[in-house]
Amino acid sequence: MTKTNLAGIGVFLLVVFVAVPMMIAVSGRWDFYYTLTSVALLSIGSAGVWLTFYIGRINIGQGAYALMGGYVSAVLMTKVGVSFWLTLPLAGLFCAVISVAIGLPILRLRGVYFAMITLVLTEVTRLTALALPVTNGAKGITSIPLPGALTVFGVPLIPDFATIENPKLAFYLLAVTLMVLTYAALWRIVNSRLGHLCRSLQQNEELASSIGVNTAHLRLLAYAISSFFGGIAGAVFVAISQSIYPSSFVVTDSVNFMLYCFVGGLGFVMGPMLGTFLLYFGWDLLSVAREYQLLIYSAAMIALMLVLPNGVLSLFDRREGPK
Amino acid sequence: MNRRSLLKSTTFAAIASFALVSAAFAENPVLKIGFVGVTSGPAAAWGTSNQRSMEARAAWINEIGGYDIGGTMYDVEIVAFDDQKDPKRAIAGMEQMAQAGIHYVVGPNVDDGAAAVRPVAEQNNIIYFPYAFPKSLYEAPASNAILGMVANYQSGPAIYKYLMENNGIKTVAFIAGNESDPLSQRDSGAAAAKALGLEVVSDTVTYQMDTTDFTPVMLPVIKTSPDLLVLSGVSPANAPQLIRSARELGFTGLISTETAQDAAVLQEGAGDLANGFISVGGASTPELASDAMREFVDRYTKMFGEYNDESNTKVYALEYILATIAANPAAMTDIEAFKTTMDTFEAPNPYMVGDAKLSYVGTTSFGQKRQVSVPLVVNAYKDGVFETLFVAQVD
Amino acid sequence: MEQILANGFYLGAQYALIALGLTLIFSLMNVLNFAHGQMYVFGGFVTYTVVAQLGLPFIVGLFASAIILAIMGALIEVYLFRPVIRKSKREESTMLLAAGIAFFLDAAILLLFGEKQRGVPKIVDGVFNWDMRIIMPYDRILIGVLAIALIAGFIAFMQYSKAGRAMRALAQDRVAAQLMGVDVDRYSMIGFALGAMLAGLVGGLLVTITGINLGMGGPTSIKAFMMIMIGGAGVISGAIAGGFILGMMESVGLTMLAAYGDITYLAIFASLMVFLAFRPQGLMGKPWG
Repeated sequence: MTKTNLAGIGVFLLVVFVAVPMMIAVSGRWDFYYTLTSVALLSIGSAGVWLTFYIGRINIGQGAYALMGGYVSAVLMTKVGVSFWLTLPLAGLFCAVISVAIGLPILRLRGVYFAMITLVLTEVTRLTALALPVTNGAKGITSIPLPGALTVFGVPLIPDFATIENPKLAFYLLAVTLMVLTYAALWRIVNSRLGHLCRSLQQNEELASSIGVNTAHLRLLAYAISSFFGGIAGAVFVAISQSIYPSSFVVTDSVNFMLYCFVGGLGFVMGPMLGTFLLYFGWDLLSVAREYQLLIYSAAMIALMLVLPNGVLSLFDRREGPK
Repeated sequence: MNRRSLLKSTTFAAIASFALVSAAFAENPVLKIGFVGVTSGPAAAWGTSNQRSMEARAAWINEIGGYDIGGTMYDVEIVAFDDQKDPKRAIAGMEQMAQAGIHYVVGPNVDDGAAAVRPVAEQNNIIYFPYAFPKSLYEAPASNAILGMVANYQSGPAIYKYLMENNGIKTVAFIAGNESDPLSQRDSGAAAAKALGLEVVSDTVTYQMDTTDFTPVMLPVIKTSPDLLVLSGVSPANAPQLIRSARELGFTGLISTETAQDAAVLQEGAGDLANGFISVGGASTPELASDAMREFVDRYTKMFGEYNDESNTKVYALEYILATIAANPAAMTDIEAFKTTMDTFEAPNPYMVGDAKLSYVGTTSFGQKRQVSVPLVVNAYKDGVFETLFVAQVD
Repeated sequence: MEQILANGFYLGAQYALIALGLTLIFSLMNVLNFAHGQMYVFGGFVTYTVVAQLGLPFIVGLFASAIILAIMGALIEVYLFRPVIRKSKREESTMLLAAGIAFFLDAAILLLFGEKQRGVPKIVDGVFNWDMRIIMPYDRILIGVLAIALIAGFIAFMQYSKAGRAMRALAQDRVAAQLMGVDVDRYSMIGFALGAMLAGLVGGLLVTITGINLGMGGPTSIKAFMMIMIGGAGVISGAIAGGFILGMMESVGLTMLAAYGDITYLAIFASLMVFLAFRPQGLMGKPWG
């Protein structure tokens, strides 16, 4: 890791943890907390999608895992009484396990075939949530408590959200922390032997396989990590809205996760984060355009594709080709 | 004082007084009311009819000089947010309302959105008027949501009872889209029908919201030949197609729903086949509409080109907010004052002929007054227009 | 049982027609056109405007839909897809463009035609009733026949016309076709226009029966994706087979599973996933698309 990289990371951390809360306090735009929290959480989900892109698979099924993660967290909290902080990793793990079971048969597929089957998966998950008794079906799960206090060996690490004066800030910090961890993990994966192998998969699967790479294993691993991220994102959303319905994450969300990756750039680790920020935050800002909101939003998206078909980050890419 | 300074001061005074007068004329203080709901995508009709009825009414109020609250005339401004029927967006919308200092919001239109915005509304002292029916939104400890219309578990039994007495129906079948709102409405509708002694012959058939051909969906339901077919929570887009499929398959019984519908949509989509279709509406049928309602429909039509009959039920929320604040001006910024006022509030209903009243109800269903009292107007469609079958009140 | 089959056949005919346009575009350019459903909706609204608002005959509306959508398709290919495909490193990038176009059309439809459900009056009255065994309104029969005629016409066009042969060559091997002197740009444009036109035609046909509203676009695209997956992406016979199979599955499934209610569609989608997992190329597709 070079010095400029380190400096960049330092600036980024300073911005998200210090500058943003300060600017919000100064400007009084408290509503930005939720918007930025959403951006952080959705970018965790799109980080997962990006990783599946990295092994050459178009994943339009992340909404399914976000929904599963949300339900795991909600059910554990309301029916078993588990602390939110414990449900968070459990939601991720549950999704990872399910994704291995689903991934075994479907990861053999490529291109649009994989894309389509993941698209169907989102709808299957929604219908399952409607039909299962444990999810409370159509009525959803509501009145979920806010995250409680987290104490490890008697040391209080995180206070009870219900007693915090400003839960918005608390959720923002939680989401941003998770986002930073996610992208750190993603960065680590990409710049490790695993990432190198993934790139070989993206370029030529047969070749990778012929030189002794266990492609099936690798694909499963990447997909499981991807789904883990999706589950985490879903679980935190549930904590914020304190409710979940089968329609909390739908096909549109799955498609959006994929679009965020495209907009940011498929060749860049930070791509999905930037893409999520631009598209989600942009939509919110455009609400002043009223009935022309969608028109302007979509026109901007098309224009972006025409000018920068390889994602916004390709602007800064002098070397050409993925890092 | 020389002439020059006299001139100066007079000019100044003139300008100042002119400015003051014009300020008094043009710049009424503004009362912002929010709307968070769906105005794009498949369910756009629901939110659009909501938003437009609010905007039409606001423009009308502003044109006649504002709304009198505690002796001051207020202009009404509608701040709208499109949540795309996504609960996550709905939260963002509610945050924007809080940011704009708004305390009264109409919407969201669906169950999941209404549940998702609850924490934000409670943290930011916002009273909101969802068009969603889950009781948990309105029962204590929840206290910031006020149901903006008649719930299906209130209108359903009234309709079934009326049809049992007047048409002698004995069996009923339910069909619903496989989404939260319709399925919940189907379940509560079926329970209500059973409680009334009706035999429920089919309540398991569901359809995808994007179905383009309802004949296969309808076939197993029609085979049970019910006296009454209930389209639970049906969207205005699906209603004509469902009716058409049922009739074309030879169904001759009654068809009803507990949601609001639009006569023009039924006319175009099902034509004569929709005759006799029973739905819940507002007060725009000729027998009930007051002059104010007719003027509202005129202004709406002028402003947006075409009226939507669903707006009849949706004009009320804004009226309730304004009238309640007028009854207790402290409520403008203090929602606790609003809640106290709700318990005793009463005002004449401007949209209906006769001596109908605006008041808050819901004690029977929710244990507290968390519902606007709108007349439960049950309509039957006939040749392009709605005719009133009967009018009831919810308590 | 006859009724179920008849319903499935009718549903299949309309599905197959929707899937044809999508699969044509996919086979030519490897573009998964997310905006296909929106084009279908647009076509429906054009027919609605011509027939219900302007009061012209239905056939005029159909032609208007076909022409407007064909022009729209050609413009989209030339000015949007072509430059993006040329410049982007990964061909999946066109998915973002297609999604952007889908959103744009959604917005345009909302502004142009409004948020309400629309429909045109029945073009033929009356119901065909064979001894209560098959009940089918005449307008459905007419639309079903028209749909099948269009499918047959399309197949004939692809088989016997010069443009059709060129497009089939392109779909088979782009580079080889180019070497053989096929004008790739020209036929990509024609193919896209034809695909969009088919979407518009189905919209125009179905507006008489199911009506149209702005929300139908996205779900229609997704259904069309499923059909071409069943049959095999980019294969014309596959799209037709996929359409009819999905139609039958819905018709039969809805009747058989009616008693289980909410899980009907779950069963349909889940079995689809299992099928695709074990036969990824669909019924007739080339493996790996």
